[in-house]
Amino acid sequence: MTDRRIGVYVCSCGGNISDYVDVARVRDVVEHEPGVAAARTHMFTCSDASQQEIIEDIRNESLDGLVVASCSPKLHLFTFRAMADRAGLNRYQYVQVNLREQCSWAHRDDTALATEKAIRLVRAGIAKARLTEPLATMRIETTPKVLVIGAGVAGLRAALALSELGLSVFIVERSSDVGGWTRRWGKMFPHQQQGSDIVAALSARVRHRENITLFTNAEVVEKSGSVGKFTLQIRVDGFHTIPLVVGAIIVATGFDVYRPSPGEFGYGQDGVMTLAEFKELVDRSPEDLSRGGRGIKDIVYIYCVGSRQSGGGDDAHSYCSRYCCATAVHTAICAREVSCGLGPAKDCIGFHQFHLFRDMRTYGKHEIPYEDACRKGCVFMKYGDDDPPKVDRVDGRLRVRVNDQYLGGEEVEIDADLVVLVTGMVPRENAALVDVLKLPVGVDGFFNEIHPKLRPVETVVDGELIAGTAQGPKTLPESVASGLSAAAKAAALLKKGYVDLEPFIAEVDTSRCVWCGECLDACPYGAVEKTSVQGKEVARILPSLCKGAGACIPVCPENAIEIAGYTDAQVEVMIDALVREVVVEEVAVPVT
Amino acid sequence: MGNGGSHYDVLVVGGGIAGMESALTLGDMGYTVLLVEKEPSIGGKMVLLSKVFPTLDCASCISTPKMAATANHPGVNALTHTEIDEIIKRDGGDFLVRLHRKPTFVDPVACTGCGQCETACTVALPDQFHYEMVARRAAYIPYPQAVPKKALIERHGSSPCSFACPAGVKAHGIVSLVRCGKYAEAFHLHMEDAPLPGCLSRACYAPCEAECTRGQLEGPVPIRLIKRFMVDRYYQEHPEPEYGPPEKRRGETVAVVGSGPGGLTAAFFLAREGYGVTVFEAASEAGGVLRLGIPSYRLPKDVLDRDIKNVTALGVEIRTNSRVRSINELKEQGFDAVLLAGGAMDPGRMGAPGEELEGVVDCLTFLREVNLGRQIDLDGKTVMVVGGGNAAIDPARAALRLGARKVLIQYRRSRAEMPAHDWEVEAARAEGVEFQFLKAPQRFLGIDGRVVATESLSMRLGEPDSSGRRRPIPVDGSKQTIPVDLVVLSIGLRPGTTPFAPELELEKNGRVHVNSATLQTSIPWVFAAGDAVSGPSSIVDAIGQARRAAFSLDRYLNGEVLGEAGFDERLPVVDKQAVLARSPSLAVRSPREKRELAAEGRARSFAEIEAPLAETEVRYCASRCLDCGGCSECRECVRACPANAISLNMHPEEEVLSVGSVIVATGFKLFDAHLKPTYGYGRYPNVITAMQMDRLLSPTRPYHHLVRPSDGKVPDNIAFVLCTGSRDYKVGNRLCSTVCCMYSTKQAQLIMGALPLADVTIYYIDIRAFGKGYEEFFEQAKAMGVNYVKGRVAKIDQVDGGSLMLHYEDTTERGGANQAEHDLVVLSIGILPNADALKLFEGEALAADPFGYVREPNESIDPGRTSIDGVFVAGTASAARDIPDSILHSGAASVQAAGYVESMRNGR
Repeated sequence: MTDRRIGVYVCSCGGNISDYVDVARVRDVVEHEPGVAAARTHMFTCSDASQQEIIEDIRNESLDGLVVASCSPKLHLFTFRAMADRAGLNRYQYVQVNLREQCSWAHRDDTALATEKAIRLVRAGIAKARLTEPLATMRIETTPKVLVIGAGVAGLRAALALSELGLSVFIVERSSDVGGWTRRWGKMFPHQQQGSDIVAALSARVRHRENITLFTNAEVVEKSGSVGKFTLQIRVDGFHTIPLVVGAIIVATGFDVYRPSPGEFGYGQDGVMTLAEFKELVDRSPEDLSRGGRGIKDIVYIYCVGSRQSGGGDDAHSYCSRYCCATAVHTAICAREVSCGLGPAKDCIGFHQFHLFRDMRTYGKHEIPYEDACRKGCVFMKYGDDDPPKVDRVDGRLRVRVNDQYLGGEEVEIDADLVVLVTGMVPRENAALVDVLKLPVGVDGFFNEIHPKLRPVETVVDGELIAGTAQGPKTLPESVASGLSAAAKAAALLKKGYVDLEPFIAEVDTSRCVWCGECLDACPYGAVEKTSVQGKEVARILPSLCKGAGACIPVCPENAIEIAGYTDAQVEVMIDALVREVVVEEVAVPVT
Repeated sequence: MGNGGSHYDVLVVGGGIAGMESALTLGDMGYTVLLVEKEPSIGGKMVLLSKVFPTLDCASCISTPKMAATANHPGVNALTHTEIDEIIKRDGGDFLVRLHRKPTFVDPVACTGCGQCETACTVALPDQFHYEMVARRAAYIPYPQAVPKKALIERHGSSPCSFACPAGVKAHGIVSLVRCGKYAEAFHLHMEDAPLPGCLSRACYAPCEAECTRGQLEGPVPIRLIKRFMVDRYYQEHPEPEYGPPEKRRGETVAVVGSGPGGLTAAFFLAREGYGVTVFEAASEAGGVLRLGIPSYRLPKDVLDRDIKNVTALGVEIRTNSRVRSINELKEQGFDAVLLAGGAMDPGRMGAPGEELEGVVDCLTFLREVNLGRQIDLDGKTVMVVGGGNAAIDPARAALRLGARKVLIQYRRSRAEMPAHDWEVEAARAEGVEFQFLKAPQRFLGIDGRVVATESLSMRLGEPDSSGRRRPIPVDGSKQTIPVDLVVLSIGLRPGTTPFAPELELEKNGRVHVNSATLQTSIPWVFAAGDAVSGPSSIVDAIGQARRAAFSLDRYLNGEVLGEAGFDERLPVVDKQAVLARSPSLAVRSPREKRELAAEGRARSFAEIEAPLAETEVRYCASRCLDCGGCSECRECVRACPANAISLNMHPEEEVLSVGSVIVATGFKLFDAHLKPTYGYGRYPNVITAMQMDRLLSPTRPYHHLVRPSDGKVPDNIAFVLCTGSRDYKVGNRLCSTVCCMYSTKQAQLIMGALPLADVTIYYIDIRAFGKGYEEFFEQAKAMGVNYVKGRVAKIDQVDGGSLMLHYEDTTERGGANQAEHDLVVLSIGILPNADALKLFEGEALAADPFGYVREPNESIDPGRTSIDGVFVAGTASAARDIPDSILHSGAASVQAAGYVESMRNGR
């Protein structure tokens, strides 16, 4: 039979399980399974007291396998692995059976069958435990250096933060100068600082750090290795190549402004400009707004140009660009200040700003400048999602027609000196970099995080982090916070000096492998390479790249690949245990 | 490094998602982190949500691994249920932190989180984690995914009733046990503190009821009558005590002098400790004032007899007809210690002429005769009682019952100065006792040595005397002669301590001189309690004192230091106004009318006047209890806990430590929807907050279905009112709360999933779907059929059947002021700054922005940095943020905190 000594612990989860599953019966049935040396129930297996009891069992009963039948491993896998560590049992000889999410919660209507299913699930866990072997994590030494791609505010700030923690940083910037879009802008919301000043302050601090190296006119052209030790090739000034070895990579490549197509809301005509262009105009005008010698008195802002276009064509952007409402409102306040000074509305007679918007997304504290703009004479008109304003030229002046929902949909005509298209952010063109880094890109074209809620700077590639507007539209402080957050994650990876990787990786049985290359094509992580063993061409798995995804296993025609911890044999005995009748077994229970 | 306390690299204040993320990030970097959370679980508000937008991940499923990781991270020490008292920046750049761990009253190491205390607990309190939609017990585990998953007991302080009891009887506990039908348990709880529940349930003046918070509403809970029911039920079922002498025996013996309430109580507690106890009683029957002083229409003698059995069952011997004349004699007899509880039984004298006449008696003598059943015929006679205390009322009423034609009480001060309890006076008056105030006899006139009349003078009140009462001054020429057959003098009683004068230090008035804290007398092995110490007081005071004296005596015999420590472990009393304020919508629950025998009939009989409550009445009355202190101290959890983990004597534990840097992650406060009265929250049951809706939709929801509160109907027409408490000058919050549009859209989608036939309408000003994937999520909701109406809701009215009429203006082209009816209205309440964050720091203040959030002086370059160098802010403590932005912000705070710690290490 088996010489294994397995402990089985069935959890009541305070009723979450035991209200629907007869946990005592589950224990009574499974304690006669081959190899089971101890079987108990607990009100809460995860409680300190229960863990202590299990640890004593492991020691006193010399257990070499452990099954906890409780909740989802998402919740307590690491709890019980840590418990196994404390007891001196190899953590990978522990098997968690999910009796809560997969059984009790799902079968509240039939407790008898829920109990039967629970018995089968626990038996499967025991069957797997019988075939467990001690496994060891792979410890990878990390290189205490970080590559930051992009020298905008997010990248610069991330570099500074890492440098202050004693990590060396390389910054690779594609253009000839640092600071990205922020460098080009004057007064910025929400803190009225000059964009150029912010960049100047940041780059001054960067220059003072000895452990930051900045490459401008530079691009990443090659990457190999994995978390803790990436090897990269940097091409500088288009010709010479520099190799770098880093432990982590932060991608902070920023955004582009949406460029309206010719004719879109009159774009291309004299007097129609994007928000970015208008902002530069306002920034450059010390007093009185004018263009071509003519004063600007009537300004129309059209919002959501290039954003929130759900029913649009191929180039349409369905997402909201987040920063534009607040930026437009802020720019309007600045424009008024240039034209009329800071005084009250009566000082500003003859200066009109019309905002044609859909939803005013001045979230959080941005609400205050919106209120301010309303007070300072800005007129806000709401246009329908499917009824955009039209821009024409009549008698040499720009004329905007809009159906204002606030006026019950009445058409309003505005003659304007200037039409500002409130344009959103679009992802930068980064195809080559995406190809090198193998980073996933979302449907919106921005880099994709691994989890949008809780892990917004991490990606599916361990050690590659995304920051700032490369991940999605952001305001300046948000972008900088994102850069710092990426720096925090990079530091969390590298400060320790090593990373432990799970041992659930593929192994090739070279005696069976005939190198057909199927696994190479199937692996999404580039973890397979061809090698030769005693003259025979076979596949080899690169342990630091393998994620244990298992994509290679079903495609192998020779059944030559196994994943440690999830071997075919283990899965097969689990299936056998799951299909074994419970009733028959009950009769077979020996009465002693 | 600081003051001997431990040192951490970083302190994170707040264990919500931002705090956990900061702690984990820093822990992963290799720094040591102390995370302090004031609630009993980490997880903050996120874990309580149903799902999160726009991914529709189950909030608890993605929170719990973070919570578990935080709790188990080797670099992170997470303290829950802990408050920061102050953080002080020191010259070296590090910080001194004072904090205290609030008592949970459950030993966290022993507690297995089994929940048996919850089941046993007799108090239901609003469940704050379900946003008060349902109740939970005072002993509770916060919620199923709580980390740590340990029970705790909600205690706001001592309930006013329990705190008022001089004997320490846990009135609240008795009421809460009776409310649950646990009568025997209530009896046993009473016996923990006082062994004479029968007597107290009849003759106590019930200071507990005077303090009852319900008394400020419709009238107090009738605690004494509830107790009486419980005692009667128990005595009926248990004519004899269920216990015998204790197993633990001690060699020492104790003599108790007096078998009144004090003596019996002291004997009980001492016998329970295993001492051999002998009670010496001068009278022929045990009970002291209970037997001799209180007439049976107030305290039936069988009840007293049964109470005494509670004491004698422990092996206490009561020697009647045994007057003790010398304390040293007791010592010679072999007693190791003596407890004096002889009461105040010596009558005071007026010193008036004729006082020695036959027919002039003191009240105790008179009552003793009555109570011992001697035949006294007062048929057709006139009786005058002299005095104004309770001791004057009892003989007057007894005289009526013995057939007196006329009973008159003369009191030398006015009604206002009368020390007798109001209800006693009123009862006597109702029965026909006549009161004459500002009158007192100066002389007793007799014929053949027997009194026939009194000569009384009228009085007026002069200046207050040493007792603080105004001194009566005879009015010249007011002499009045009243014919009487019997005079009962109730003018003060003295302790009968004269025989002990040579041995023991006495006060001038005959009271035994004691240390007031320990009740030890001038002889170390002699303790004293009751009226012998304090002069005539009350039964319950005597019991309380006797218990204290017994406690001291036990410590004395154990060779321990005497003092108050360990005797009174009660928490400070709760503030009644705070109790009323925390339950804004209390149901009116009228008190039951008091029932007594009719005054005319009862005045001729010694039958018990007061009628008992029926069981249904008792349960109703007990249910009126407001559970002021939270936990009622009924001790059911203590009995139920298999791990012996409950400890009601836990105290706050203070700790002082040092940290290199601080991250403030104190989160936000939700807008209180009561502050928007036009929306009817708190008045209309079917107006709920979005946080409550999130609970209704969550996997650990309070009900199994999505139902509306008023009638359990499954709603089919639900409205969301956005910007409740946001973008609103009227409530003082101009800011947008950032998350409400999206969480409402999320809830709308979930409702459409749970109730496919329901209509969902969202009333909004602007839909702010600005984050990654949010606009798409908003579009998805519209495609699912969620109805978005642009227009702020002005007012909500309740219409028939509990549905709600919303008045709003549609500001789109549909236009106009409109009304719409909905089954259920969800107020999408906003986010407000948590002012707690600003109170953490002593010395250099943490600066706030104009809205009360933690200020970030240079947000564009150093988001997360605050006005204090080395202090950082993460998450919603500095602005309304959604979860991804809070996570990013936490990362920013952590990496800068780490930078600060590094710069300190490098001696910047």
